[in-house]
Amino acid sequence: MTRTLALLEKDLADLRRNPSVFVPAVLTGFFTIVLPFFVAIVVPYFTGERLSESSDFQVALEMYRAQPGARALDPEGAVQAWIFQQFLILLVLAPIAGSMSVAAYSVIGEKQARTLEPLLATPITTFELLTAKVLASLAPAVVLTAVCFGVYVVGAALAARPGVYAVLLTARPLTVVFLLGPLAALAALQLAVCVSSRVNDPRSAQQLGVLVILPVAGLLVAQIVGSLVLTLPLVVCIALLLLGVNAGLMLIAIRLFDRESILTRWK
Amino acid sequence: MLSASQLTRTFDGRLAVENLSFALARGEILALLGPNGAGKTTTLRMLAGLIQPSAGTVRIDGEEMSRGAASRLRGRIGFLTETPGLWDRLTVLQNLTVYARLHGLEAPRRAADAALDLFGMRDRARDVAAQLSKGLKQRVALARALLHEPDIVLLDEPTAGLDPESARDVRGLVRRLREQGRAVLLSTHNLDEVERVADRVAVIRTRLVAVDTPAALRARLFGARLRIVVAQPAATFGASLEASGVRDLVADGSTLSIAVEDPAAAAPAIVRTLVASGADIQSVVHDRPPLEDVYVRLLEEEPQS
Repeated sequence: MTRTLALLEKDLADLRRNPSVFVPAVLTGFFTIVLPFFVAIVVPYFTGERLSESSDFQVALEMYRAQPGARALDPEGAVQAWIFQQFLILLVLAPIAGSMSVAAYSVIGEKQARTLEPLLATPITTFELLTAKVLASLAPAVVLTAVCFGVYVVGAALAARPGVYAVLLTARPLTVVFLLGPLAALAALQLAVCVSSRVNDPRSAQQLGVLVILPVAGLLVAQIVGSLVLTLPLVVCIALLLLGVNAGLMLIAIRLFDRESILTRWK
Repeated sequence: MLSASQLTRTFDGRLAVENLSFALARGEILALLGPNGAGKTTTLRMLAGLIQPSAGTVRIDGEEMSRGAASRLRGRIGFLTETPGLWDRLTVLQNLTVYARLHGLEAPRRAADAALDLFGMRDRARDVAAQLSKGLKQRVALARALLHEPDIVLLDEPTAGLDPESARDVRGLVRRLREQGRAVLLSTHNLDEVERVADRVAVIRTRLVAVDTPAALRARLFGARLRIVVAQPAATFGASLEASGVRDLVADGSTLSIAVEDPAAAAPAIVRTLVASGADIQSVVHDRPPLEDVYVRLLEEEPQS
């Protein structure tokens, strides 16, 4: 544990001195936040057409009004709340996408900087090394998610109909952001670290790690077209599934991490 | 303290190291010499527990460096890799403190400070590693390899690329490690360095070509010789020396090179013979061929694998 913490703190210190690595993550987070405001607030403002009167949102309005938490909202507020909740899942994607480069670079970066061999010459175990590497990319992702979510809620409180922001602070959205999000990020980042310890090029790791975004994007699409309602029990089920996936990925990562190949074959 | 027994390592069927056996004692400096691709780095990595041998064993105080024990035994080894491998964006102090923690030291900051003091780098503690010169980086890397006070120190080309003053500092440090009773294995191409610090030399080219003290290797390959410079043509004294029992004699200009069993014992009689023959002797030295000649001769005699 001490060794994991030591390496984790080192990686975080390293990242603090290289903040530009988070520019893609911050930009992704920014656009993730802006998009629903554009759809729910800006477009109706300029077109003069209320969302609740648009036939495009009638099904959504009915679906959403069926939920007890939304009954207090007026029709326009209900559609806005529906939109804000649908786009919430993008907040899960943003930090994953943003931190992928950090994770992808984690092992191959040490190798390229020629810092891996002295590191492996210490008593650190593969589990400790990989845990530190994954957590070092996860921690900024989680912080970024929390910041984005805070801005999202404050933005909704200021710009949306009264009460919409409160919907974002209920169990389901909070579970999506603070449980499903980190677990999905963990899976993606573990995959990237796994790949990072098997390839010679960080770009390969990044490209393969991004594959994890596909199922999350699928969830978003399924929600929007109405073929899936992401209820709280379903979110918890997905979170449990991700927990198992993460445990499996760590085992696979340890098996795949081949010190000898990394030291002797990578150039 | 450290022993390698029949160490063999192959990569995709290609032999990198074959049947390498030697032992390293406390307070000893053993230099590992060999041409590029001879397997020196592979040997060091096996000794450091970074890669497993395909056959053979590495033992530290009798305990085998198995996969299960490697993590723990690595804590007894200080390994200076070929490149310093510092985290460039971190300070010198941060670099050392992280390693002190990775080695599980109880007071990491104190250990890092002590290492900085040992290497006279306290005033550079807050410098970012990327700003250091190559020599300073190497010093920090050495401090890092030693901060957990390992019993065994493996140094892969510790003075490569250093200026003469920094290289001299490093050699001084290596001697101090011997005085502290540590076992030091030094891989290098610098034969002058080996001459200055090593107690024994192991020459490898995939296999072990020879391992012994430099003096013993010289004696084995070239025998012991006296080199005597006289004021007259050296050939003038050939007959009188042969008459006194000298068998292997080479006269070149004003220099005589004479094979002897024991230079210290043979010199007085030879000098007396020369003086009696009217020679004006300018110098008498124990002729020590450079280590480079020893090294080249050893490799010439060893068939390439």
